[in-house]
Amino acid sequence: MNPEQRVAAAAKLLVQSPPGEINDCLTDIRVIIDDDNRLQRGIDQALREYNIAQFVTVQAPNADHQIIISDAGLIGSDEDNRFFDPRTKTSFLFDHLGLAASEPREEEVDEDAETFRAALDSAAQEYINDHYRDGVASVFVPSSGKFTLQLVANRYNPANFWSGRWRSKYEIDMDAKTVKGVIYVTVHYYEQGNVQLTTEYTPTLSLPPSAPSTQAAKQLLLQIAEQENTYQSALSDTYQDLGEKRFKTLRRALPMTRNKIDWDKVTGYKLGAELTASRGGNIGS
Amino acid sequence: MGDVLDSMLDLMRRLPPTRIEENLDSLLNICPEYADDLLGSVDQPLKLLTDKASGREYLACDYNRDGDSYRSPWSNEYDPPLEDGTVPSSKLRRLEIAANDAFDTYREMYYEGGVSSVFLWDQDDGGFAGVVLFKKIINPDQNPSGEEEEKAENSTGSWQSIHVFEASERGRSAHYKLTSTIMLEMVTKTGEAGDVNLSGSLTRQNEVDATLSDQSSHIANTGRMIEDMEIKMRNLLQEVYFGKTRDIVFDLRSIEGMERAKQQKALQRELVGLIKR
Repeated sequence: MNPEQRVAAAAKLLVQSPPGEINDCLTDIRVIIDDDNRLQRGIDQALREYNIAQFVTVQAPNADHQIIISDAGLIGSDEDNRFFDPRTKTSFLFDHLGLAASEPREEEVDEDAETFRAALDSAAQEYINDHYRDGVASVFVPSSGKFTLQLVANRYNPANFWSGRWRSKYEIDMDAKTVKGVIYVTVHYYEQGNVQLTTEYTPTLSLPPSAPSTQAAKQLLLQIAEQENTYQSALSDTYQDLGEKRFKTLRRALPMTRNKIDWDKVTGYKLGAELTASRGGNIGS
Repeated sequence: MGDVLDSMLDLMRRLPPTRIEENLDSLLNICPEYADDLLGSVDQPLKLLTDKASGREYLACDYNRDGDSYRSPWSNEYDPPLEDGTVPSSKLRRLEIAANDAFDTYREMYYEGGVSSVFLWDQDDGGFAGVVLFKKIINPDQNPSGEEEEKAENSTGSWQSIHVFEASERGRSAHYKLTSTIMLEMVTKTGEAGDVNLSGSLTRQNEVDATLSDQSSHIANTGRMIEDMEIKMRNLLQEVYFGKTRDIVFDLRSIEGMERAKQQKALQRELVGLIKR
């Protein structure tokens, strides 16, 4: 591999970082590549991809709330890395490595869309405060007649070797009168091991007929709450099913005899023959 | 700057367990000079191969690999064939044959299916070392319980154990050092909870002293040691997979509204206050 290919391969590893561990992975990759200048140039795109895919948040400039870095909030071209905070109508440059916002600038917004967006935003804040610890929700207007609601909740506990992330995205299309949603949950547990949960779920939602109205925004968030509750319960049932049925099928807790193996008797053939005999087999008996 | 190998191992402990082979391959391409160290330190999924002579399945890992060939525990032959492939001394091979028989019995009793393999090798200091492997896969079309299980329809799973040990004889006793890794994968697709993938591995170590009356004592000694470790680790896997990671999901999001819970608590306090008055 030439130096560029090494950096490109490392970038593909970096975007797989578990929740809250991208700095740990980057530290490892810096040691492995041992060429900070080339690495810094080569991973820009990967960091951007990771931040957008993982709903990374940043403190909004001149405000005391967090905003999700989203494709739906991108202003101008991809290279600009200028993102929008609809709540303060302010755009900012985002540094994908330092995770900081700078150069805030006021933006014009479509006032008609803003009424419904603000109603969705306020209903979403109420919803996340009720169901998420450390949740952040942002509502964007990616184009005319479209609204994107994203929410993310993170829990990082490196002292106890675990981290988790819940992401939900709801795309509202006023012309098609549809709401498309997707939920991802990622959990990493890494005390003397590496165990990861990754899930993907597509909830079923419909656009309330009175949209766009404050009432419709509230109704939609009620639907979201119900769907996410249903999903979380189903996930819990899956845990129970896997843990109680499938896990037992893979390996018994104890042999059928309910006793540990008598190793003094095991000279391989002897016990094997006994087993066969006790099952009514006739080999060697 | 830290050590390159340590950084690669730390990275592998963080990246998704479902992509071990692909990511290991990337690291090997990035740093080919660390190939041997990496392959010897990262546990990979066990390959299932078939012994050409007996038609019996066996497991392949770095410990029975020589170049691009793997040695079968049943025939002691390499596949593809090697003229001067590394094999255990004849004394150790006798123990290896007996160990394969014993752990095959163990496999049948605990796994009721799957495949096992044991490989031993001589150590420079006069002792020996070995690896005991188990692998069992369940597919959606194999439903051993035979019950109607809607949710299990689209679920698959696999269990892979890798027990590496070193044995050193000290007169009438032997000292064993064990490192055990169990890889457990559980996948459910298109069920009521959509796609769920719960995968990974846990590693634990132990050291044991045991009496040695003759060579075959090694089988009973390592057998007890590995059985105890698997029982302990099965409990641990159950706790981490189905307890801990679920708790983290419920730590992220609460089904019951927290505002309502707060209000109920406040109401309760108020009531208690009224009663006390």
